[in-house]
Amino acid sequence: MQVSITWLKDYIDFEETPEELADKLTMAGVPVENVIRADEGLDKVVTGRIERITKHPDSDHLQICTMNVGTAETLQIVTGAPNVAEGQIVPVAMLGAHLPNGLKISKSKLRGVASMGMLCSAGELKLDLENLPEEQQTGIYILPMDTPIGLSAKEVLGLDDVVLEFELTANRGDCFSVFGLVREVAVLTGNMPHWPEIEVKEDAPAETASFIKIGIADEDLCARFSARILKNVKIGPSPEWMQKRLNGAGIRAINNVVDVTNFVMIELGQPMHAYDYDEISGQSLTVRRAVQGEELHTLDDSSRRAKGGELVVADAEKAAGLAGVMGGLETEITGKTTTVVLESASFNGPSIRRTSRACGLHSEASGRFERGVDVKETQRALNRAAQLLQNMGACNVCKGILDVYPHPADQVKIIFSVEQINRRLGTEISGNQMTGILQSLGFETEELTDGKYLVRVPSWRNDVTCMEDLSEEIARIYGFENIHATLMGGKVMQGGQSAEQDFIDNIKNALSSLGMSEELSFSFTHPSMFDKLNIPADSQLRQAIPIMNPLTDEYPLVRTTLLSSIFENTIRNFSRKNEDVRLFEVAPVFFPKALPVTEQPDEVLKLAGLITGRRALVGWNQDKEYVDFFDIKGIVEELLVQLKISNYTVEAGEHYAMHPGKTAIFKKGRETIATLGEVHPAVAENLGITKKMYIFEMDVATLMKYTATHFTYTQLPKYPAISRDLAMLVDEAVSAADIEKTIAKNAGKYFKEISLFDVYTGKQIENGKKSLAFTMQFQAVDKTLTDEQADVAFQSILKAVEKEYNAVLRT
Amino acid sequence: MEQKIEQLKRDAAEAIKKTVADLDALNDIRVKYLGKKGELTSILRGMSKLSKEERPRIGQIVNEARSKIEALIVEKNEELKEEALAQRLKNEKIDVTLPGRQVPLGHLHPLTITLNRIKNIFMDLGFTIAEGPEIERDYFNFEALNLPKDHPARDMQDSFYITEDILMRTQTSPVQARTMQSHEPDSPIRIIAPGRVYRRDDYDATHSPMFTQVEGLVIDKGISLADLKGTLELVLHQIFNKDVGVRFRPSFFPFTEPSAEVDISCVMCHGQGCRVCKGTGWLEILGAGMVHPHVLEMSGYNPEKVSGFAFGMGVERIAMLCYGVDDLRLFYDNDMRFLRQF
Repeated sequence: MQVSITWLKDYIDFEETPEELADKLTMAGVPVENVIRADEGLDKVVTGRIERITKHPDSDHLQICTMNVGTAETLQIVTGAPNVAEGQIVPVAMLGAHLPNGLKISKSKLRGVASMGMLCSAGELKLDLENLPEEQQTGIYILPMDTPIGLSAKEVLGLDDVVLEFELTANRGDCFSVFGLVREVAVLTGNMPHWPEIEVKEDAPAETASFIKIGIADEDLCARFSARILKNVKIGPSPEWMQKRLNGAGIRAINNVVDVTNFVMIELGQPMHAYDYDEISGQSLTVRRAVQGEELHTLDDSSRRAKGGELVVADAEKAAGLAGVMGGLETEITGKTTTVVLESASFNGPSIRRTSRACGLHSEASGRFERGVDVKETQRALNRAAQLLQNMGACNVCKGILDVYPHPADQVKIIFSVEQINRRLGTEISGNQMTGILQSLGFETEELTDGKYLVRVPSWRNDVTCMEDLSEEIARIYGFENIHATLMGGKVMQGGQSAEQDFIDNIKNALSSLGMSEELSFSFTHPSMFDKLNIPADSQLRQAIPIMNPLTDEYPLVRTTLLSSIFENTIRNFSRKNEDVRLFEVAPVFFPKALPVTEQPDEVLKLAGLITGRRALVGWNQDKEYVDFFDIKGIVEELLVQLKISNYTVEAGEHYAMHPGKTAIFKKGRETIATLGEVHPAVAENLGITKKMYIFEMDVATLMKYTATHFTYTQLPKYPAISRDLAMLVDEAVSAADIEKTIAKNAGKYFKEISLFDVYTGKQIENGKKSLAFTMQFQAVDKTLTDEQADVAFQSILKAVEKEYNAVLRT
Repeated sequence: MEQKIEQLKRDAAEAIKKTVADLDALNDIRVKYLGKKGELTSILRGMSKLSKEERPRIGQIVNEARSKIEALIVEKNEELKEEALAQRLKNEKIDVTLPGRQVPLGHLHPLTITLNRIKNIFMDLGFTIAEGPEIERDYFNFEALNLPKDHPARDMQDSFYITEDILMRTQTSPVQARTMQSHEPDSPIRIIAPGRVYRRDDYDATHSPMFTQVEGLVIDKGISLADLKGTLELVLHQIFNKDVGVRFRPSFFPFTEPSAEVDISCVMCHGQGCRVCKGTGWLEILGAGMVHPHVLEMSGYNPEKVSGFAFGMGVERIAMLCYGVDDLRLFYDNDMRFLRQF
């Protein structure tokens, strides 16, 4: 909705500048999004007459105009436009003018001839080209011959009118009209509106009823249908004052009849439609649901087949228009029209909304019906339209109005108490103040007993149905800024978050302290990702939920794995030359209970991470190695420590996206708590990445199941430990973890811990063997151990590994 | 004898004085004069040859000479050590302008950091963090919030549908309806529901098909619009700063009545008007209002007995203002150079 200040001022006076008015309206819940005014730079554009034209000495297409701009001296201006002629009045941008297209006018020379300004085209003045005759759309804009010279072009062209652009809320259908906005302005300024007198002289002898029958077949979708007949219609342009107001409202002038229906719609908020009576078959118009397959031929010259159920206004043979959305082409007003049927109806909002969405047709009319129109206005709108056309001498008006209004609406009545509203608002507004505000908005109030009031809601406020709605009306006019801020009373409540929310925070904090950065990504994916990730054909991960109306083809599915997102982010980083990537994400993935979806899916919280690139940031003194399998394993191990998860086992395993020889599975009993490994080279190739990447995947609920809820510290030892190193040669196939287990089992009661500190193959080691070096700690809780005690344990370990793994002690 | 001692003293002092940068040489001097076989020591040994009368006098002279030499040695020793240290420090000088060895730190996502701040502010005010499904039934997402099918206000939230009746939630408000329905009717509630929400908006500098919201709900006896104002002013002052201006504008949401848009004075230009606030000096930051009686009724609460307020804010918008981020897409690009800054 947009409307010019001029139109508002037709019906109410106010002193406020457009900006001040916009601010008042905004703060009262009628938000003005923009105050549109012509640029101040246009002040230096004036009307001028071309006194003389001479040819440019050095150019075939340039001409030198001597301009009279109402000052003593003439101006010499060079122009390239071919449509200029001596005697024309044109807009002249003088030195210092700043045109809407950004051009600043300064003294210049065109091929050696000085030019003291510029003659302007309609486009350069930002006139609405669509509303201009074709010949005026290009070239210099030619003004009427009787235009005075030396006047501001802004004034002459009506560019001085300021337009308010509203961003109205869905509930305020009543403000989608000049009258509605004037009502608001009146309340906010305290000034009285001066409404136009709406009177119509029925000056045609015939009765409306003798021309046409109207009816409503589907009363649930049309509350009221009213019509008038206009005879002897003379189609022509509407007067300039009306075109100017329509322009300000963003509506293009077409002809007097159509302009008047639009004008009345904007003025009263009641959408109207005009039919060429002679094109209506059977002299009847009926509001009914469309039949499936019925042809709908609309004004935009497009033809649709009805799905059935759309509301149409039909003559005896066919749909003559999509009710409240767009008229039909056959009954359109043309230059030949002589008899007009004016329609003014109240259609059901939700139905209009469905139809307009289904057909992709949104019009000024449909927008108003969706929000609800005042069912009481149909007759007044017909009279206003007839009056305006009559005043233009464009028609005679037939006697009587046809009006089908099967179930007249009851006036909405609400009872409220002053105490009730003050309690809701936290205010101490008096009953008089409240009723004063409501009355100014057109509500009728009646005092009952005990501080209670009966309120009758005006017909245009169909959004007000209960006490709470009244409280809003009172609050917005009283002023939100006048309500004092307080803090809530009541019982003290304990804030906090759940154990799961704490656990997720722990995961994020632990991983970020381990050098991983958190990513956030969309919950969408593309089916091609399943193939790229090597996900098996029968995997549940391929059963992703399709979105009915995806935004683009890029993301038609809801993701089942975080890996797709994490790889996308890695690829994006690579494409930007960020080759050291360490990302993790905690987010849900979605598994349908069945496909197609019939109920809400399972949302499963997952954790995934990826590392690739250098181990340390690039630097003169940094480790220049690249990360490997053991970096990601170390991160996962440390994460588990932080999450208080212990006593798990690690084994080689399989994962669709991981290298079969470099995949580790962490388990508690038989349950997997983490899977990690190097990205399968084939997957990396599918993703177009040549670098090695390492990933992990975990399920948050499973992790949480094994976190120690109660944690106590381990006492520090009172007695010193003894350490022994053991380096051995074993077959390459033997796993270090197995050897550790054997050692632990045979190390006796003083065994404390073991760690692998060296793995070596290569020189000095025979083929097929590897060297492993462990360091072991022995310690007693109640005494200092002797070397002999440690030696005994060491010998027992040695014997066990020699026996089980054919290990050879290296010395 | 006395002359000899005097001579020794002078020789020693001379030798000590001459010694430079050499602690060993100084030690040699000590040995030469004061050692077991040193020259002064041998005089002491030869004392037995002196007369009884002379012995104490010469002894005193020798001891004085000894003390003197010792003092000189100690003094010289200190001097040499200082010199040696100074030399060492000089030799060890490094180029301190070279970059330090960086510890590869990870970073929480800026939206997580912002959300954590918001959560903490609300938890301090006695709010509990509530959650709910991201794929939601139309009933909870719209209908239970007073947004029936074909209501024009549904245009405000264009949705991704899974079926006619199941959609990607467009707001976290369904958590409010779920919370009320899981509570004893009319029992007090004070929650915020943070989470991802989805709207069918084109992806550009200020819109995203997925973003993060924090919505809140307070229900109790006697909760008023004034309480809503007070609570949200307090929260906004904590998120931004105490000087930020806060204004409440009447607005419309189907689930609240009265409804308000909450603006803060522009944090970029301090209300002077700039590109970010489109010259108005104000930034829209929150939507809020008193819970609509229909919403209470639909979830089993009695609007005659209790009242409440609800509000919603976008975490991306707040993070953009706090960190001066001018393109929302940066949050979802996950560029390492961006993430490392937080």
